[in-house]
Amino acid sequence: MSECRVMAENMPLLLTESLDPVQRELTHQHIESCAACASEWEATKETWRILETLPTVEVPARVKQRFLAEISAASEVPANVVPFRRRSAARWLAEAAAVVIVGGSAFYAGYRATPNVGLKPTPAEVTAIQPSYSIAESRVLPAASISPNIEGRPDIQNVQFTDASPSSQQIGVSFDITSHVTVTGKPADKSMVRLLRYVLENEDKMSPSRSRAIDWVRATYSRVDNPDPEITEALATVLRNDEHQGVRIKAADTLQSMQSAMTGGTRDALVEALKNDPNPAVRVKAVEALAKLARSGAVLDPDMVDTLRKKAAQGDENVYVRVKAAEALSSIQPR
Amino acid sequence: MKPSIRILIAVAVLLPATQLLATTFLPSNRIVRQLAIEPAGSVWIDNPFGSIDVIGGEGTVITVTAQRSIVASDATALKEASDAVTISFEGDSKVRLIRTLMPALRNAHATVDYTIRVPKSVAVKIGSKSADHIRVSHITGSVTVNGFAGTVIMEDVIGASILNIVNGRVIYDYQQNPIAKAEVQAVNADIDVYVPASAKFNWVADTINGDILTTFPIRSPRFAGTIFRGQINGPGGPTINTATMMGRVLLLAKGSDPGKASSMRLNPPEHRPAPSDVMLTPGVKIQLPFHDGDWSFVASVAAIAVGEVRGNAHIQIGAGELELGAVFGQCNVTLMGGPLNLGDVTGLLSAHTGAGDILVRAARLGGEVSTDGGLLHVLYSGGPMTLHSGGGDIIVGQTSGAVDAQTTSGDITITADPRHRTLKVGARTMQGNVILNVSPRFGADIDATIVTSDPDANVMHIDFTGLTVRREQAGAKTRIHATGKINGGGERVELYAEEGDIHISAQTITPVRLANPRR
Ligand SMILES: [Zn+2]
Repeated sequence: MSECRVMAENMPLLLTESLDPVQRELTHQHIESCAACASEWEATKETWRILETLPTVEVPARVKQRFLAEISAASEVPANVVPFRRRSAARWLAEAAAVVIVGGSAFYAGYRATPNVGLKPTPAEVTAIQPSYSIAESRVLPAASISPNIEGRPDIQNVQFTDASPSSQQIGVSFDITSHVTVTGKPADKSMVRLLRYVLENEDKMSPSRSRAIDWVRATYSRVDNPDPEITEALATVLRNDEHQGVRIKAADTLQSMQSAMTGGTRDALVEALKNDPNPAVRVKAVEALAKLARSGAVLDPDMVDTLRKKAAQGDENVYVRVKAAEALSSIQPR
Repeated sequence: MKPSIRILIAVAVLLPATQLLATTFLPSNRIVRQLAIEPAGSVWIDNPFGSIDVIGGEGTVITVTAQRSIVASDATALKEASDAVTISFEGDSKVRLIRTLMPALRNAHATVDYTIRVPKSVAVKIGSKSADHIRVSHITGSVTVNGFAGTVIMEDVIGASILNIVNGRVIYDYQQNPIAKAEVQAVNADIDVYVPASAKFNWVADTINGDILTTFPIRSPRFAGTIFRGQINGPGGPTINTATMMGRVLLLAKGSDPGKASSMRLNPPEHRPAPSDVMLTPGVKIQLPFHDGDWSFVASVAAIAVGEVRGNAHIQIGAGELELGAVFGQCNVTLMGGPLNLGDVTGLLSAHTGAGDILVRAARLGGEVSTDGGLLHVLYSGGPMTLHSGGGDIIVGQTSGAVDAQTTSGDITITADPRHRTLKVGARTMQGNVILNVSPRFGADIDATIVTSDPDANVMHIDFTGLTVRREQAGAKTRIHATGKINGGGERVELYAEEGDIHISAQTITPVRLANPRR
């Protein structure tokens, strides 16, 4: 019984997302299993809905002032607390827009069998390319036949990767846009590279597809002799911006296996990750990549060397990161 | 009001400081220059490539001898380099700056070696990238050296000194008892300090990989982490701070036998054992095809590759890489940081790293594997297994034991051995997907939960029928909860994913077959 009382207290907190994951889950589980609390929960939600429809009343200025004075005293953040916020992504679309297919306002057709997929209309603008294709249920397009320039910001969904034909070294990417589209080609085809870059960098896509995309990019491009630098740049964007640590670890790990395609921007992203990423595994991957780079005889710029020196000396850093930084420094020839 | 004076002052302020000072460029191969300096003045030497000798003496004059060498691939490159590499003398009698001007050279490499005689009381500041040696002798003023690679020798330097070097070697030779502080920060360099036996000072030494050795008796010795502190000949006196990450520190009383130096790290005097002592053991590199019998091992920094441990393995490492091809007994390994690569482990496995990936080919009896951040990959587990990552994917290639996997952020993929009709599985990611691969005949009591702020993107793909799915929205988060029995039920399978998908996929799985372990 007392458990039900606790749950009733938790309900408004659940609605305002103020519970920690453990409490949240316990409350959900209880509501599911207790009829009394289930109806209480329905009632709470209903009340909440009604409250939301009520007109807002202007608060008297004096009351408001006093309230603000009280909360500002209580909510001052200590000066030494720095929130780790998601950095806004450098939008790549400047290069411009839509893959593939045909013009008009598109809608997502929804090919998944699962009932949970939402049918979301999307306003993606797509432009015609040569040769033009009509809207159809399913299409297979050779990468060579489509423009490498993606215009706009098409909402592509349900991204899948295939090794369409390993013998001919063909790969394939399929996704839903206005229709289900599969683009096939060689890993080095510019349209394929651009498409993958789009999948990796499009920050509106949730990380599940990005996480899978990185796995696939690693499997595909680590066996390619000279991977396109655009791929590593896309991974660098993920490393800089993704808020999921697991995805950043993968991005750093994959970059490490693609040394030959590293650009200045990619190296900067690794240095940045080594300096600031809160996850030790990301810093480990970043310092390993830089150590590998140093061993290969690459010229490291002064900022990189300086970061390695600081990391080696940083007493509260993971000792492995420090040792790797020292190892990287030991193979640097000053010039 | 006198307007002319005001204008003069304004002009002086607008001119960059260097333009007020005399500047000369000399292209010849060997030059000798004499410059006046006040006894309390300072001499700055900035020479990226080449040795520097600074020798203190009497008088008020600096004598600079510079020798330039250029190696070029052809005559044109030689001419270009010869024109480009010059020496600049700047400053006045208070501050003298001697600088090698060296733009980036194509097909040529240039060095300039300096010998500079100065009044001994001046302050000396040296900047260098690469030098065979930097030697400063008989100076009573302060000395600062900032270098990257080379041997730095401080000989009879009486003033305070600060040395910063990455690769190379540092040698201090005190000809009288130290009276000013000395601070050495190095990364990959050994440090030798020679001091008269009667000297009285505080010694601070720090290294991760090397040793700390001395022939002095130490008073009040103590370790804080890897940092050692002790008094030489009683309390008081200046502090000599010798820190090198990967090298060793040697402090010698003049006239003593270096072979009799004792190790502060191995035999810390008056030291109470602490868990962090693993960092006090010397670093090692071990490569062995096999180790007979049980193997117990501790090292601060290590790179270890052993083909087979024919017994139990018990290993503790500060930082490093550890690779064991096979362990015939129990395997218990702990790293403060670094990747772990384990082959076929016959006995119970317990593996932890403070940061880094862990790869296990086979844990025949299962066990515990954890990292504070990194990827966990177990190809085969034959017993109950607990896997924890502070961030990173977890993959269990195939398991015939119960699995409990948790990651702060990352995907969890678990494949159940098709020879088992049911298995207990727990998988929980706070950011990412959960994928469970089972045979079509797999039976279980499923409890799968997704919590997401994007219910259109995050979905459940379950290749079995008979589950009840509930959706509940609370604030901006949607909870999707699927429960029920598949194939008539079985062990509990509890999957939880935040901001990700859950897949329970039925597929034909080829069972893993392990070779019999050799004994
Ligand atoms: Zn209840």
